[in-house]
Amino acid sequence: MSPQRASSAGVQPLTTVGHPTPRIDAVERVTGKARYTNDVQLPGMLFARVLRSPHPHARITSIDVSNAHALPGVKAIVTHENGQVVWGSGSVAGGQQYSDEIKKITTHRRYTFNNPVRFVGEPVAAVAATDRHTAEEALHLIRVTYEVLPFVLEPEAALAADAPKIWPEGNLAVNNRNEPQPQVQRRGNVEEGFKASDHVFDARYSTAFVHNAQMEPRSAVAQWDGDRLTIYTPTGGIANCRTDMARDLGIPQEKVRVVCQYMGGNFGNKNQNQDADLIAAVLAKAAGAPVKLELSRKEDYIGMHGRWPTVQHYKIGVSNDGTLKAIQLRGFSGMGPYRKNSGAIAGTELYQCPNVESIVTPVFTNKTVSGNYRGPEFPQGFFGIQSMMDDVAAALKMDPTAFILKNMTRKFRDDTPYTNYSLEECLLRGMEMVRWKERWRPAGTDNGRLRRGLGVSFMAFRSGVGRSNAVARVNAKGDYTIHVGVTDVGAGAKTTMGVIAAEALRVPLSKVQVVWGDTETCPYSVGESGSRTTIMTGYAVIEAAKALMVQIAEQGLPAGDRVLTASSNPNPTVQGAVRNAFGAHFCEVEVEADTGRVRVTRYVTVHDCGRIINPLTASSQIVGGATQGIGMALHEDLVYDRRSGVPLTPGYYGARVMTHQDAVAIENVFIETDDGYGPYGAKSMGESSKVPAPAAVSNAVFNAIGVRVKDLPITRDKVLAALGGRA
Amino acid sequence: MSPTISRRRFLEGTGAAVVATTIAGPSGAQGTADITGTPPHAPGARTTRISLTVNGTARQIEVEHRWTLAETLRDHLHLTGTKIGCDRGECGACTVLVDDTPMYACSQLAIWMDGRHITTVEGLSANGQLDPLQQAFIDHDAPQCGFCTSGQLMSAKALLAANPAPTIDEVRAAMTGNVCRCSNYAHYTEAVLAASRQTDRRRV
Repeated sequence: MSPQRASSAGVQPLTTVGHPTPRIDAVERVTGKARYTNDVQLPGMLFARVLRSPHPHARITSIDVSNAHALPGVKAIVTHENGQVVWGSGSVAGGQQYSDEIKKITTHRRYTFNNPVRFVGEPVAAVAATDRHTAEEALHLIRVTYEVLPFVLEPEAALAADAPKIWPEGNLAVNNRNEPQPQVQRRGNVEEGFKASDHVFDARYSTAFVHNAQMEPRSAVAQWDGDRLTIYTPTGGIANCRTDMARDLGIPQEKVRVVCQYMGGNFGNKNQNQDADLIAAVLAKAAGAPVKLELSRKEDYIGMHGRWPTVQHYKIGVSNDGTLKAIQLRGFSGMGPYRKNSGAIAGTELYQCPNVESIVTPVFTNKTVSGNYRGPEFPQGFFGIQSMMDDVAAALKMDPTAFILKNMTRKFRDDTPYTNYSLEECLLRGMEMVRWKERWRPAGTDNGRLRRGLGVSFMAFRSGVGRSNAVARVNAKGDYTIHVGVTDVGAGAKTTMGVIAAEALRVPLSKVQVVWGDTETCPYSVGESGSRTTIMTGYAVIEAAKALMVQIAEQGLPAGDRVLTASSNPNPTVQGAVRNAFGAHFCEVEVEADTGRVRVTRYVTVHDCGRIINPLTASSQIVGGATQGIGMALHEDLVYDRRSGVPLTPGYYGARVMTHQDAVAIENVFIETDDGYGPYGAKSMGESSKVPAPAAVSNAVFNAIGVRVKDLPITRDKVLAALGGRA
Repeated sequence: MSPTISRRRFLEGTGAAVVATTIAGPSGAQGTADITGTPPHAPGARTTRISLTVNGTARQIEVEHRWTLAETLRDHLHLTGTKIGCDRGECGACTVLVDDTPMYACSQLAIWMDGRHITTVEGLSANGQLDPLQQAFIDHDAPQCGFCTSGQLMSAKALLAANPAPTIDEVRAAMTGNVCRCSNYAHYTEAVLAASRQTDRRRV
């Protein structure tokens, strides 16, 4: 299936780029030959399992592993007493784990095993045995005594003066200078803005913890050869994972090899190492044998990370004609007890407004750890602010598209121009597709059992250029090889790199081989996170190809067994402009007034992701992201028991991810552009379609029932409560 | 031998002369991992020898009573195309055909498989020839990360065997036990419908 595509002027057709191309590794993916981490079996390999805390906050007073050690088949056991390694990227000041400087100053150290334990699911011990059942049995034989401590689950409650302290300094997460300060952005003066407004509105919105829930449960295989470590692990960034492993284990980078050939989904915060990698490495060293550590689905849900839950208080000042005068956000993000990432809340930048103040406070809680999940701070913030603005438009009796067209960003923060601007085109195109002007009716017009609604949202999303590396080679037969440090987490990066290389080298794709997923054979490449792979590594591929073609022009193809090699390390920048991807989503719903059931009946997306390198895989990315966003809007939640602090719904059933029968057909149009940056003008894509989706669904439900459900997910009970409250 | 051949037809074709071509099972002493990376039996574990047919090949294997079919296929028969996504009957990544019926291999014990015929993703293509479903999955970019793909294929295979021309709603209903977190559901259903049209044409 090819998506519809509309080209803006200036996008010249190319030979290989821009044509629907099946993945170069598609046969491996449909025959079971693709080798994922857990498919690795090594001679003499042991199996490892992790014992996890049943308490949300507790001090370990004793831990007795003697019975477990005595079980035949058990080869090694590690706990906080004998296997404590600093996990540098597990918790860092400000959540900026990619910076060595920030790592040095951080005071909130997270170890592979911590005492006290601070969330249900935190590792307490790990066992390696000759088979997984013996390892599991051994976990039951470890005797741990805990001194149970008071806990706190919600970010606002965690800031109360009498809240249990998760860290000695308190629960306000520190910034990257180790200061307990919220993240503050200001322009203009909001108080002046409110004074100058005809109307001032305020409201509170919240979003839930949503897990990445990639299909591949985490595992890691560690093998030592003397002082050299090979680690097979699902990582989106083999190079960053290697740096992390070397730093945490205190060994030189050259002694670490990271392999990830196939990865069963990423969706965020995997451009690094994980505690499972370190635990596997420590166990393998202790046992003197290779170790495969496996996490169960439940452990993956509560032991890794998911999207940080947020509380967002907005105060909006607006004039009679709907022009924004002031935007104020006071936001709180629940980070769990460790700062795995930023905890930011995006969205104020979507609007033109002279007076903006955003104060976001990431807070430590005793829930599972929060981290990046597909557009880390965007879907939450875009849901909050675009629901708020939709409510403001309704209060002013304005068509929401008119409100958006009047107030949406035209320059970045009203100041810096964009490299190209297609946001208005995206909106107008989508309005045409759903026949908005004919079909939109004010919120709550329907009064029957079945209430129909139409909602809109939009996005502007970072699409920056930056440094990456690639190596290109050619042999005497004219076969080309491209070496890139990508792992292909599912988005199709390997194929994208091949297509870009074929275009740049002016050869058919069949003449290009891509080498990937192994630090032994690949140069450093920016890892697969932040929708950067195509833009940054794709650009490096073009530069390497160009350099190789210069050599070929000068020397001809190499003779015999010789190869020509060219490498590139470009670091392009954008001068005097901001590079963004743009898009608009339109959602139609039917709400059953008697049951509260919401059904998405039509979903239209329009995206400017620059030039589309491979329309086939691009449409998969857009459809998948939007569908995940609908799930976040309507179902997904990790529910906690408030009295025990235990997560109740870790898993696919409990957290209610989208299934075949939930999924709707997503109609997508690409507005193709070429702003002269990136590989042939390609912009960010992987996160694009996720970030505006919850807002579009929220606005459609509001339009259907005339009442706003302000807390995600929009489940039946909340819809019924909203309708009951109105009657 | 056709990977989808029924058990009855298989028995008719080969009579009683079914010879176990492989005796799989832990070869190392108890408590030591063997050189292939196959985990050994746990010390003292209760085991039973079973005979089953996997992708048309008769196999015998000494299984621990607690082994699931999924781990037996992956760890002991080295058929790692079957993936374990949840190991508790929620996601369908481990779906295989047991006597032509799609089942979650994580929720079947290996000892229940004595005398059964199992088809895994490795059994779908014969002699390097892809099954029409596999080709349709490629053409429609159905797999993204690919981790749920084997299970999606096996559910689709069973559906088309029972219903060669399903409607889109029938495809969704038959495959709704197969979660795809990349959420490429539309591409999966389009691929199954395309394969069904192709198979239908060949039948006519």
